Amino acid sequence: MTPHSPGTDQIDTLLWIGFVAAAILVVAVVVGLLYVLRRYSAERGAEPRQVTGGRRIQLRVGAALGAFAAVILVLSIVYTDKARETPLTGPAGLQVSHSEPLKIQTTGQQWLWRYDYPNAAFSYYKLVVPVDTTVELELVSTDVVHTWDVPDLAGKRDAVPGKTNHVIFRADEEGTYFGQAATLSGQAYGAMRTEVEVVSPAKYEAFIKTQKRDIQAAQDRVVGLIENGETP
Amino acid sequence: MSAPRRNPELVVDGFPPRRARWVEIATSADHKDLGRVLITGALGFLFIAVVELLLMRLQLAIPENTFLNPVTFNRMLSLYGATAIFFFAVPFALGFFYYVAPLQIGARGTALPRLGQIGTWLFIAGATVLYAGFLFTPSEAGVNPLSPLSGIAFLPNNGVDAWAAATGLATLGFVLIAIDLVVTLRRLRAPGMAWRRLPVFSWAAAIGSWLLIVIGSVMLAAITMLLIDRNFDGIFFAGDAGGSPLLWQHLSWIFYTGTYMLILIFALGAIAEIVPALARKPLFNRGAVIGSLVAIAVIGTLAWMQNMYTAPIGIGWMYFAMIMSLALIVPFGLVFFNLIATLSGGTVKMRAPLLFSAGAIVAIAIGLATEMNHSMVALGWRLQHTTDSTAATHFALVGGAVFGGFAALHWWFPKMTGRTMGETLARLSFWTMLLGTLVAFVPLMLAGTNDGQVVDAYKFFGGSSDLDAYNLIATIGAFILAAGVLMTLVNAILSREGGAPAGHDAWGGDSLEWFALSPPEPHNFDLLPDVRSARPMRDIREAIAHRSARAEQPARESQPVA
Repeated sequence: MTPHSPGTDQIDTLLWIGFVAAAILVVAVVVGLLYVLRRYSAERGAEPRQVTGGRRIQLRVGAALGAFAAVILVLSIVYTDKARETPLTGPAGLQVSHSEPLKIQTTGQQWLWRYDYPNAAFSYYKLVVPVDTTVELELVSTDVVHTWDVPDLAGKRDAVPGKTNHVIFRADEEGTYFGQAATLSGQAYGAMRTEVEVVSPAKYEAFIKTQKRDIQAAQDRVVGLIENGETP
Repeated sequence: MSAPRRNPELVVDGFPPRRARWVEIATSADHKDLGRVLITGALGFLFIAVVELLLMRLQLAIPENTFLNPVTFNRMLSLYGATAIFFFAVPFALGFFYYVAPLQIGARGTALPRLGQIGTWLFIAGATVLYAGFLFTPSEAGVNPLSPLSGIAFLPNNGVDAWAAATGLATLGFVLIAIDLVVTLRRLRAPGMAWRRLPVFSWAAAIGSWLLIVIGSVMLAAITMLLIDRNFDGIFFAGDAGGSPLLWQHLSWIFYTGTYMLILIFALGAIAEIVPALARKPLFNRGAVIGSLVAIAVIGTLAWMQNMYTAPIGIGWMYFAMIMSLALIVPFGLVFFNLIATLSGGTVKMRAPLLFSAGAIVAIAIGLATEMNHSMVALGWRLQHTTDSTAATHFALVGGAVFGGFAALHWWFPKMTGRTMGETLARLSFWTMLLGTLVAFVPLMLAGTNDGQVVDAYKFFGGSSDLDAYNLIATIGAFILAAGVLMTLVNAILSREGGAPAGHDAWGGDSLEWFALSPPEPHNFDLLPDVRSARPMRDIREAIAHRSARAEQPARESQPVA
């Protein structure tokens, strides 16, 4: 898994910090435990030292643990804030407006994602976005809770009925990124996938145009059939 | 039975029972009988949970497997979650609390025995409903049946109703037992058993019971709302009609997070009894350990929104949950430090309970350290809802409920049955379980972190050879773990009648349960000692030694001097 958006870059760094911190804690506990279990085995035949504790060592250990937790907390807040920043659309991106991200309404439904683009075009399953452009997905759901998750591009977020959630990313490279819904949503949950195709702005515009034309053609065809008294 | 009498000297030994043993147990309100019912029932459901886990792991052994169809998989998942939490982990912990704590405080019984009795029967009723549901339609809504999926519109069959009734009955039972324990621990302590002298496991029982009363009530409210929503057109969790699906998430996560803490408090409390006795030292910084357990209960439960980083809630709430989660490093760290410091300088007898305790500490440490990563908000967006979170939860809860619970089982088995569990099989079981836990859950961590494999899915897609390998290895590990668990279950069954006789003071522990007979008489103690310190059993042993030394002396002194 490689990060392809400023937000996921930050998350990736935090992942390394977290991994090191977790490793320190686990190694400290495991090594300490194994050491005392070996060193003070009953076979050595000494009398046990009857100490009941000490306030000073307790305060020191508590303070050390507190300091450790505080460092993790600060680092975590720093990187979370960085990951939450809305990046600006880059020079190679689609210039919609200066600071506004490209908003795409994303609807979770059993068991397919629907993407509604700004110009009345929509697509199912596959999301097409321009490269180097800030994209904001407005997550909603029409039925149950779904989680939108394309880990290369952004952290995951839930689509909850009645609420709007937001995913913001700026893909730095053209290509196809896969994702899978991450909250149990019923029978076909395990097959509920999505695909994000990152293309150049020109290709994106062309895609929107084709999509609109195809949708229009399909609608015209259905309307024509109904007007002729046939069942579509 | 209930209140301690002032003149306990009337002793009846070997009075023949009037009724068959099973009738006695079925009608008993004695905390020891009920505790044994809870523990035995929990071990039975552990077996069932393990079978369900294995079926799910078989489905996930190879990519796009068709061994279980999606609906069956979701039913297995829902049953597994309910069984592992409501019918194994909680009753297992509560069973030990209920059996041991009254003995440890020198009580002749519990204060409100009928509450404990009805609580135990509600647990059995809940289990019956859950597995009667198995005969028609079990829930398909998953471990935590999130609204709206759990609503009548999406799962119209009665599976979710059965789930709600089953877990609701069991939770109500747990709350009643917890009330009995809280009152018993307040009112029925032996003379001199001040709170500062209370054994750590009894402290854990008090803390755990208070916690259960709070979180159990919250869960009961949530379950009631769910049943109203489903059956009487309620709108508690309906987003478009004035309710909110997030309400269910808040209420249920308060319960599940609190339960997680309850299980760890139980395990650490039991380990804090085992370690000092087998190292022949007093617990290092007893006060700090007890204080830490209180902190874990309070702070840990307040971190419930740690599970909701991906939900549409304000970032401030996420930071609140993160601060609470990270604050837990201090109390958990202090408990681990003090347990290790207790072993340091002692003479460590590596018996089965200590072996399982060590395994529990390692597994819990791995689980909590991983959980720490999940509680960093931005990292939670990446790691939550992946198999990394499955693995973290399993490390902590298998560490707490299975390793820690088995440590408690080996430790108090001699008290309950008068016999010791077989040491060889215990060791074999331990090493198999440790290997199984690592082989089953470390690959799932990698699959979640590196490949973003999602939780609860009935299949995964191949293509990446890493992912295929992780899942296959995890399945193999689950089978190894299951074999280890099975060995201890077999060991317990065999040792109940065939184990080596243990004697009344099996391990040289410091607390009063070792003063009672093994198994204890229905009234627990013929004679209540005056408690003078936090190590009453040690005082009794010293007094006996002193007295027998004196008893020899006067014999010589009484000889004529001249």
